[in-house]
Amino acid sequence: MKKILLLTTLLTTMVFASLRVDTTYATMGRVAQKIGGDLVNVTVLGSSKYDPHFIVPKPSLIAKLRRADLLIMNGGGLELGWLPPLLRAANNGKIQNGGKGFLDMSHYVKMIDVPTSVSRAFGDVHAQGNPHFSVDPYVIPVMAKAIEQKLIQLDAEHEKDYNENYNKFTKEWQNYLQKINATMLTCKGEKVVQYHELFNYFLDRYDIKSYGTIEPLPGIAPSSKHTIALINIMKENGVKKVLQDVYHERKTAKFIAAKTGAKVVIIPHELGADGSKTLQEFYNKIAQRICQ
Amino acid sequence: MKKTIGLSLLVASSLFANADFDALKEQIAQQKIVMQKLEAKLDALSKKQTQMQQAQMSAKMSRTTANTSASFSQKAYLPDIALILNMSALSRNVDNNQYKDFAIPGFISKGTAALPFNEDKGFNLNYAEVAMRSTVDPYFDAFAIFHLHPNAFEIEEAFVKTRALPYALSVKVGKFKSAFGRINAKHQHSWHFDSQPIIYKSLFGPDGISDAGIQLQWVAPTDTYIMAGLEAMQGTNTRSFGDTKSNNLYVGYLKSSVDIGENLSVLGGVSFAHGKNAENNSTNPTNVYGVDLTLRDQLGSYSALTWQSEFVQRNKDTGNRTDKQAGLYSELIYQYNNNYSAGFRYDAITKNDTDLSAYTGINTNNLDRYTTMLEYKPFPMSRLRLSYMYDRTKIIAGERKNINQVMLSLNIAAGAHGAHDY
Repeated sequence: MKKILLLTTLLTTMVFASLRVDTTYATMGRVAQKIGGDLVNVTVLGSSKYDPHFIVPKPSLIAKLRRADLLIMNGGGLELGWLPPLLRAANNGKIQNGGKGFLDMSHYVKMIDVPTSVSRAFGDVHAQGNPHFSVDPYVIPVMAKAIEQKLIQLDAEHEKDYNENYNKFTKEWQNYLQKINATMLTCKGEKVVQYHELFNYFLDRYDIKSYGTIEPLPGIAPSSKHTIALINIMKENGVKKVLQDVYHERKTAKFIAAKTGAKVVIIPHELGADGSKTLQEFYNKIAQRICQ
Repeated sequence: MKKTIGLSLLVASSLFANADFDALKEQIAQQKIVMQKLEAKLDALSKKQTQMQQAQMSAKMSRTTANTSASFSQKAYLPDIALILNMSALSRNVDNNQYKDFAIPGFISKGTAALPFNEDKGFNLNYAEVAMRSTVDPYFDAFAIFHLHPNAFEIEEAFVKTRALPYALSVKVGKFKSAFGRINAKHQHSWHFDSQPIIYKSLFGPDGISDAGIQLQWVAPTDTYIMAGLEAMQGTNTRSFGDTKSNNLYVGYLKSSVDIGENLSVLGGVSFAHGKNAENNSTNPTNVYGVDLTLRDQLGSYSALTWQSEFVQRNKDTGNRTDKQAGLYSELIYQYNNNYSAGFRYDAITKNDTDLSAYTGINTNNLDRYTTMLEYKPFPMSRLRLSYMYDRTKIIAGERKNINQVMLSLNIAAGAHGAHDY
């Protein structure tokens, strides 16, 4: 009995000692776990199985946000369709925009594809630029730094731990970047098309040219007219690879592949989207499938 | 440059005979003049260049010091503003003049129904709404919906909600839709069907429980979602409440949700409203009880099956007797993909224990309604919905009438329109 009591007290103190960190997507969640170590308790809100724009705002997520000490979001408009009502319902002042426990990762990343004019006539365009930066392995150290700074701000007592974790992690990551760069050297100048502009950060990083998207405009379902135009572009330019994400329908990609002789490859957009268990595995999958 | 020209001139002159000596002399003089002119031009050009460089430098300097922005611009603080338009084309086997005067036995007497949505056979512009949301300061958010009917302006909601209260508490003040039940707090354009469930329409009218008041909500610090709320409202809704001596309406509710596996979520709630009615020129209590249950099975990123049901009972003391009336709706929605969804709804009055003497000779049993819809959304901001409704709840021109209705409605939300609640 005494033992159980002791154990429960210990367990509760352990639970209370750790910071509750909620992240909207899995890749950021893993980075937060690496930097926070045992001092944080990470919850990922949006499943990597689903389109990151359309995470279902289930009430169970409100309970998770209610107790969070820190919310790390992707930003750039990616969560606009699901996070704000949850955040309002959670009644958690700490993690509101402007609160101490609020971290918007897009504030730290150099955004690409920033539109010069914004109108929904062009589909679901993000005014702040392309928000899908978590496919770029070079963004990982940027995330790590931002998270380290934020954790230190929230939990100054453990500054040394966060700093150590950060140093160890980024050192490992620099080594990994050398490896993935070597892999990507073999497929410089590869030509691809993609479903949505989901992989631009990775493609830009490694000089791979995207010749178009299967959807005619961001967020608009494929049309036959656009698909035929895309097939012609692919034929003219000798594009032999279609990058398909895990959550869109695959019929159109297969049709295009059949008409052009191109290959459809499934590329994960977040850690775990395609079974990857570690960050390195996630980026390796992207690299290998684009290069194969 | 000079030298080369001079040399070539010399060579040229030596080649020519003396006879042309004078002519050559003349030519050389002319060439000299040309050269002088060229030199002057060159000087001028180089001068100009240095001047330009200097100008550029100073321009750079001044650009960093002068601020060209409007000194008092507040553009960045503009609220999110959205325009919501709702309209329909409708066909029904009842003429407009008769439909206006419909009655629902025990609830709505002849000609007293408010019909803001899809009233007419033919074409309807139901409303143009302006919705605004803004963060006021670190402590408050503000929200308003200005609802414009063709002949009326209405503040549908206008409230302030706290952002940073401790203990997961929030307070909302202003005019707002009560969070009683499942559908009451939702705006018409976010319902799965264009028409309001018959029990809500019968008990509260088209706006539901919506009033000036104050709301307190609390989210429990548990892994399972549990939310409790209390509201004190004016209670001006004369269908159920309406005693105007003082504020008279109090609402309480408890909601909870659990996930079963990764894809199935269950949301349930119990609600209670206590107010005072002014029937028969006296003040008597009205109690309303609600139970709701929503199951949603996520089949993919864009595909889901949703089953939503609600039961509401009202016990209304009218001085002479206590009316006990109840009804429910149950709807099943299948979202096939981002563009298409379809749904079916059954709704009915299940209990109608009240004075029905005004309807003697008319069958007032089994007041029910069946609605089915097919929805096409070309984009998340626009929606076309085709619906068929078989309505057996209404008395038209003194007779129970089975109403058939086919409708095509269009709803758009343009501008900065925020995401809807679950």
